[in-house]
Amino acid sequence: MNRRALSDYPRSDVIHALRSGTLALDLGPFLTRIKLSDRRSIDFFRDMYAACPVSIDKAVLCDFSLCLRPPNKFRKYFRRQIVPDPGFQFPAVPLPLEMSPLAFEMGLNLSVALQCFRFAIFHAGVVADGDNALIIAAKSGGGKSTLTAALMEEDWRLLSDEFAILDLDAATLKAYPRPVSLKNASIDVVRGFAGSGQVSDTLHDTPKGAIAYRRPRPSDIETMQRAAKPRLILFPRFTDGAQAESREIDLADAAMQLIASSPNYQVIGERAFSGLMTMLEGMKAYEIEYGSTEDSLALVRELWKAHVP
Amino acid sequence: MIQRAPDIKDFLRIATGQAPLPDQPQALAAFTLWAQQSHILGQVAAVVDAPVGTKLAEILENARLRSSYDQRMLTFETNRIKRALMGADIQPILLKGSAYVAEHLLASIGRRVSDIDILVPEAQLGETERLLGQAGWRAEESTSGAYDQQYYRRWMHELPPLRHVTRRTLIDVHHRLLPRTSRIRPDHLKMMAAARQIEGSDLMVFSPTDRFIHSAIHIFGDGAFETPARSFIELYYLYQDLSDDERQGLLARATDVGAQKPTAEALWMLDEYFDIKAGGARASLVLKSCLRSVTAGQGSGQFLANSVLYVRSHYMRMPLPLLLGHLWKKLLRRV
Repeated sequence: MNRRALSDYPRSDVIHALRSGTLALDLGPFLTRIKLSDRRSIDFFRDMYAACPVSIDKAVLCDFSLCLRPPNKFRKYFRRQIVPDPGFQFPAVPLPLEMSPLAFEMGLNLSVALQCFRFAIFHAGVVADGDNALIIAAKSGGGKSTLTAALMEEDWRLLSDEFAILDLDAATLKAYPRPVSLKNASIDVVRGFAGSGQVSDTLHDTPKGAIAYRRPRPSDIETMQRAAKPRLILFPRFTDGAQAESREIDLADAAMQLIASSPNYQVIGERAFSGLMTMLEGMKAYEIEYGSTEDSLALVRELWKAHVP
Repeated sequence: MIQRAPDIKDFLRIATGQAPLPDQPQALAAFTLWAQQSHILGQVAAVVDAPVGTKLAEILENARLRSSYDQRMLTFETNRIKRALMGADIQPILLKGSAYVAEHLLASIGRRVSDIDILVPEAQLGETERLLGQAGWRAEESTSGAYDQQYYRRWMHELPPLRHVTRRTLIDVHHRLLPRTSRIRPDHLKMMAAARQIEGSDLMVFSPTDRFIHSAIHIFGDGAFETPARSFIELYYLYQDLSDDERQGLLARATDVGAQKPTAEALWMLDEYFDIKAGGARASLVLKSCLRSVTAGQGSGQFLANSVLYVRSHYMRMPLPLLLGHLWKKLLRRV
């Protein structure tokens, strides 16, 4: 099968494949067929996914299909809007056409969250130090993405900013290294340490506020077939001016919080439970609170050193 | 993102286990995409074996996991409905997917199900809604507005959908088979009188003949053929589960209950798409050509054919003045 990095294809071939819906993105465990028609999402895709393997061959089987389209004929021409269509009915909110990169990223998230049942999925950022993974569990405003992006600067591998994808047989996490989604104040923070070349243009006034994306590095893509064994779970809380603090929590509580964040735990059923229990064996879980990125990094270093040999 | 389907009949044969998977990668990809878009992957996964380690095997395994959850959910929820109505002397008849699963029919294997349909006598509608409400099923948010609520209650054949507050499962409580305003008026009372108990349960289902007829009514008398392949496969399997006698009595019973037209159209479909020769198969030229165009999945006629089927489904459901008012409301809501 013919699969090369996106940036190795002629520009016109990529654009044509995206417009006709024949481009297949081969990222981590998932192949996704993508159809885009507006300039902005096409540019965004070509930029943010440049290092990712893709195929423009129609004969490639895909797990998911994602199409960005106008919500109806009227909105194709008048006050143009766009909506992600993952191939099943979903009440996604139409966005103005200028926000198509956000619609695209939301669409990919929907595709995985609502259509993957081969792996248990939890809403969390995952980074890895070699083959050992750190789970950064999501709590809105907790600073999951900022911390994920900051750890990338410390040479951690990015597995995912959005999903912990648990292989239920191996009890390891799969990499799905997509752009890290940054909101509001964290955009400038990440631009500061990663360099503005690594961060996309900012989309202003979206339903989630200002949004920008930090690109995965080529090394994250090269190593994406290497699954990692989770060792530590953090539940971060960013509070302005807070003292850096960590508090160990019971693994059962960590499990309950992970389960509550999972879109497919109920669907998979018993195997998701036993897989999660196997994963948690020997792990440690902490709540951490901090008021600055430096403090959060110091906490991670300290806890990682204490628990991972 | 509809790909050109080389021949829908070949695809339907593969999807129902009557033909092997295509050898050519391009045809295999086209078939898989078609099955995904038609929401029948679970049914395909039940009859097709993909080589281990291939992407197809992963895709089918994923579909299998999903549809087995749907069946567990349906069995569980059916049990909860029984519990909610216990002691009230209401014996709901399970319809469509929930009946197929409860009776372990071919049509249930791998079928994706999202809601539960039950039928109760109209006189017991209020009591059923009250008891289900006590058990946690409340008006679904998207149709809980005043317009939808009164529209359903005044014109439709079912209550506005009920969603369970914690489990989020959806029930449609029917009191007849088609909207009050529908052009065809199947005699649901006759069909209810012939309903019977599921073995080892006190829930009811239609007789096998009526089950096929109801599916035909639902697909050809009411729907807009959004997922024709899924509907056709359902009718194919329901027909497979009929005895020879039941097959022969199909049209007579359909005429008896006032569902001759949709049943004849369903039989035409079985002939057209599965080469099953069943007597009395008839459908109008417009319906035939629209369906052929839609299922071929190609060409400029697609949009027109879909539009005709959409308008047809509404034409079948209600008289023109009512339809115009309703479509106007829906249009205003969409833009």
